[in-house]
Amino acid sequence: MRRLQPVLFALCVVALSTAFTASVSAQGNSIKIGVLTVRTGPASPIGDDIVAGIQTATQMYGSILGRPVELVIEDSLFNPQNSVTKATKLVQSNQVSAILGTSSIETLALLAVADRLGVPIITSNSGPAAITRERCNKWVFRTNAEDHMSIYSLQDLISQTPRLQNAKWFTLGHDYPWSRLVAGSVKEVKDLNYVGETFAPLDTTDWAPFIARARSAGATAVIMPVTLGTPLLQFIQQANEFGLTKEAVLVAPIGLPDWLVAKLGSLSTSVVSAGSWAAWRYEDSEPTTKTFNEAFYKQHGRVAGMQSLQAGSAALMLYNAIAKAGSTDPAAVVKALESVEVRTPVGPLKFQPGGRQALSPLFLGPYEAVNPPRYGAQFAQRVEVFPASKSLPKSAAELGCKL
Amino acid sequence: MDLNFFLSSALNGVVYGAFLLLTSLGLSLVFGLGRVVNFAHGALYALGGYAVIAIINQTGAGYWTALLLAPLAVVPIAIAIERATIHPIRNRSDVYTLLVTFGMSFMLIGAIEYVWGTGTTLLKPPAPFEGTVEIFGNQYPLYRLLAAGVSLAVSGGVFAFIQWTPIGLRIRAITDDPGMAEAIGVNTKWLLTLVFGAAAGLAAFAGALGAPIFAVHPEMGMGILLDSFLAVILGGLGNLPGSAVGAMVVALTKSIGGGYIADWSVAVLFAVVAIALIFRPTGVFGRGRVA
Repeated sequence: MRRLQPVLFALCVVALSTAFTASVSAQGNSIKIGVLTVRTGPASPIGDDIVAGIQTATQMYGSILGRPVELVIEDSLFNPQNSVTKATKLVQSNQVSAILGTSSIETLALLAVADRLGVPIITSNSGPAAITRERCNKWVFRTNAEDHMSIYSLQDLISQTPRLQNAKWFTLGHDYPWSRLVAGSVKEVKDLNYVGETFAPLDTTDWAPFIARARSAGATAVIMPVTLGTPLLQFIQQANEFGLTKEAVLVAPIGLPDWLVAKLGSLSTSVVSAGSWAAWRYEDSEPTTKTFNEAFYKQHGRVAGMQSLQAGSAALMLYNAIAKAGSTDPAAVVKALESVEVRTPVGPLKFQPGGRQALSPLFLGPYEAVNPPRYGAQFAQRVEVFPASKSLPKSAAELGCKL
Repeated sequence: MDLNFFLSSALNGVVYGAFLLLTSLGLSLVFGLGRVVNFAHGALYALGGYAVIAIINQTGAGYWTALLLAPLAVVPIAIAIERATIHPIRNRSDVYTLLVTFGMSFMLIGAIEYVWGTGTTLLKPPAPFEGTVEIFGNQYPLYRLLAAGVSLAVSGGVFAFIQWTPIGLRIRAITDDPGMAEAIGVNTKWLLTLVFGAAAGLAAFAGALGAPIFAVHPEMGMGILLDSFLAVILGGLGNLPGSAVGAMVVALTKSIGGGYIADWSVAVLFAVVAIALIFRPTGVFGRGRVA
């Protein structure tokens, strides 16, 4: 037995080193995907949803070209300068093949350096239309509907809902360009009774003066282009506190994130979405949404929120494009993205010919109780699909996008 | 927009001003006593909001009990902060304490995020005060009126304490002339520690009282900190009655301005402060410090 000891020892060493080498080679062989989103501060619930959605899509898709996918997650701090620094680090140091997860702040910052970064960037949470219109860039794609698309869905919602058609409309939002865009779109609707608007400073915590203004105008429909997250939560709570929710329908131009719906509880039923970027109850008609929701719940123990569904869709678009390209060569992946068509949690998606905007549907409808609760969610948006064909011209050039 | 709208806006201003009064008094007291510009005051306000929720959730206590206990939980933390960070650098320039409290505010917010996460928590007003009452032809939340009344009563208590108690006399003596007060045997350093703790207690009380109105999240103190500083500057640094007037001016400007000229309300507020600084740098009563 003593003679066998050196042999056994040698065998163990060989086995261990083989296992180690295999592990290193699997790591080295992985396809690295950068995820740049907000991980700290008040907006971090948005980032949590985005990361969770990409993780689920990654798990669902499995390996690409026989190689595992490795996510490299960086905190943007919701700061443009930091976003550029972290994106540069992801590309140069981590050597990622693409960047996912960005919201408006990060995407707008990366547009300026996208050519230098030289990898595909697919945003799933950016509203500003310019990103895929006059400022469109070869490397930057978008899967969520942009702000101008939401305007068409809002107008459609008004035209098909008698209660909203006959309402006295008031815009109560934050003081930034998007709010004015939303206000302008409501005013454009023919024969609508528009009774006023007010735009609160971005740091508003007490909405009482602005709610008083809406009530004084006799508003019965209040559209609220308020920043998603804590400000919107505060606004809806205070609107309820003052009884505004009894007098008026609250209209969310791009819906409510599901973590916010969970916090609002029954209060969310006073809100109607005029165009959510995604909705988990789309699973009733789209099998991919159901598969994604189930995988998401299994992985994260909660319902897949709006940002998760969108981020998951962007990830699936990317993974299919890499598979189609047959490599992670950035130029080949960009070319593949231009033609790939994928079934995603927001439905079948492809990018606009000659452009970078996905032909994404929007989801209209009121928030209501879910009986029985699904995936732990007791309240959610009822879903009516508003197709991209109604909100986007056929060619990107008509949007001002020249690549 | 009619008279009722104006009166409703003014009422909103008075209610917000009552909260601002609580936080401004603490800031003003600490500055008057030790020339400490306490940037951590907003984080201590937030800590009050979290404390009230933690007490309710952990002990099953009712809101009113939690409201009384929340400041008591925050005061020892504030005293420890003062002894560990401000006390050792008391003899240095004011900029040192300013930087320390500035850093401390980020540390406290970070600690809150670490313990309770970054999300926002909604708290319902206590049961008998959930509804509204009709004032000036509009429904007004009952809890806001009650909270404003409580804030004003507590602030009144603080004024009375400063005016008519031996400790209040010492605080006023140090505020007027710290060198002379020390010369006649007043222990200024310990008094600053106690006042720092009490000011934090007031901020925490305001945070706990405001939780059912403004929601609780880690950065909830940042906005009210800025408004409180404006109130203290308007009133004259270290001058308590001036801070009270400043709090009401800031709150009414924000509220009435927000109602009529929302886009310009912030600009108008800062214009008012700028004009006050030019023409009354020592505050509305002319008894505050310039720096």
